[in-house]
Amino acid sequence: MRDIYEFFEQDSKAAAGARISLSVLCVLLLWQFVSVFISNRLLLVPPADVARALLVEIQRGAMWANAVATVTAVGTSFVASVLLGIAIGLALASSRVLSLTGGPVLSALNSVPIIALAPLFIAWLGLGFASKFVLVLMVAVFPVVVTTEAGLRAADKQLIEAARSFNATPMQIFTTVTFPYALPFIVSGIRVAWARALVGIVVAEFFGSFAGFGFAILSASQTFDTARVLGYVIVLGVMGLFGSILFETIERRLAPWRQE
Amino acid sequence: MSGDLLRIEKLDKTFDRKGKASVEALRGIDLTIGEGEFVSIVGASGSGKSTLLRIIDGLLLPTAGSVHLDGKAVTRPGTDRAMVFQQDSLLPWKTVIENVAYGLTLAGADWSAAEPVAQRFIDLTGLRGFESNYPHQLSGGMRQRVNVARALAVNPRILLLDEPFASLDAQTREIMQTELLTIWQESRKTVLLITHQIDEAVFLSDTVVVFSARPGTVRSVIPVPIARPRALDVKRQPAFLKIVDQIWNMIEAEVRASMKFNT
Repeated sequence: MRDIYEFFEQDSKAAAGARISLSVLCVLLLWQFVSVFISNRLLLVPPADVARALLVEIQRGAMWANAVATVTAVGTSFVASVLLGIAIGLALASSRVLSLTGGPVLSALNSVPIIALAPLFIAWLGLGFASKFVLVLMVAVFPVVVTTEAGLRAADKQLIEAARSFNATPMQIFTTVTFPYALPFIVSGIRVAWARALVGIVVAEFFGSFAGFGFAILSASQTFDTARVLGYVIVLGVMGLFGSILFETIERRLAPWRQE
Repeated sequence: MSGDLLRIEKLDKTFDRKGKASVEALRGIDLTIGEGEFVSIVGASGSGKSTLLRIIDGLLLPTAGSVHLDGKAVTRPGTDRAMVFQQDSLLPWKTVIENVAYGLTLAGADWSAAEPVAQRFIDLTGLRGFESNYPHQLSGGMRQRVNVARALAVNPRILLLDEPFASLDAQTREIMQTELLTIWQESRKTVLLITHQIDEAVFLSDTVVVFSARPGTVRSVIPVPIARPRALDVKRQPAFLKIVDQIWNMIEAEVRASMKFNT
């Protein structure tokens, strides 16, 4: 028993895999247990039914069509958010005036629930790619902006002075000190942005679209097909989890000195 | 030992602070350092020692007066001077050898040219075998070796050391002092060391410059006529202790004053 406990504490890949498997298993067991007591299948369906519904979706080809729609939309707008976020963060970090002037506007925009503006975006940009793209961009860009600016400003003054002492140009200070120092910060912003982008895309697809996971969830819930709703939510959860693991790994790789 | 390498004349430095009284850090500093000499500056905290070093390095500009290195006026950083900082100033995402080569690559050297030079100073500073380690994997003493190697690698005319061993424990500090002497003897560099450890200054230097505090002025220039090479047992010789005592008497009152000032 003690051995198992120690194994789960380890920092290895096998242990991490075992931890994830265990937590998934616990959730499935709990879910199964609760669904025994809640017998109204409109409210809750057991895991096996959800798996069956997912299988049907795959066989029908609906899963693939929805995945293509969602992944292309969220992928392109996520990449655009990251690039735009880094660019804005760079601009804010390089100019104090810009940061002080633009900062309040950005934090106001960041605290507004932009998701609530989804119907407006659709009214402006129509049903389809453009409105999805802009909505995801609006929700996903801010974490990147904030962490980029914070990371660039956090750079160790001592390291900058040492670089200056070696006669480094401002550009060299940026490429050899400030930017590498900010990179792990930026990646943590990107990790948050990915989670937000997934929420953004689903909401965008709720309001106006004819394909995608959000559309599938909405149409399934309108026909009270709870198994299908939960199935697509799980697919989105897996996408979120993979993104989170990926970016966390990159973050750790970029800043190994922070761990010890 | 031919002539003066560094010449500081009538140097003043005053820091203007927004909305507050300006601070006079240095007043009327005159100092010359000969080629190949090892000179230390000691003084109570607040005597502007580090400020002077930053002015010599070109990181700060003096309010008045001048610094000349080998006849050329110093107005900005350059590879004819190299600084070793008190705090850890290594790039945490670069390996030891990449850190040692940092100054060379900034100056535009290719890796193929920089690497053998970096390797030479890694060997000189006793870092062989740690080339591909990262700074966070090294002890404080090893990290300061990397800092020294990085500074030497750009082949400066003068090495500027800003309390390089202040953050090390007492034993490591003593070891590093003897190693610094060995490195100095092998590389024949001119060295200017800032320290608050009087025995460190006397042990290492040909000349100890004593600063007074607030504003910093040259209070006394004391030669150290102890034969070289020096080993750690020099620190127990009467001649050594006499010089340490002499310097301590000069700055004791100011150290006490600065303690009050800081608390």
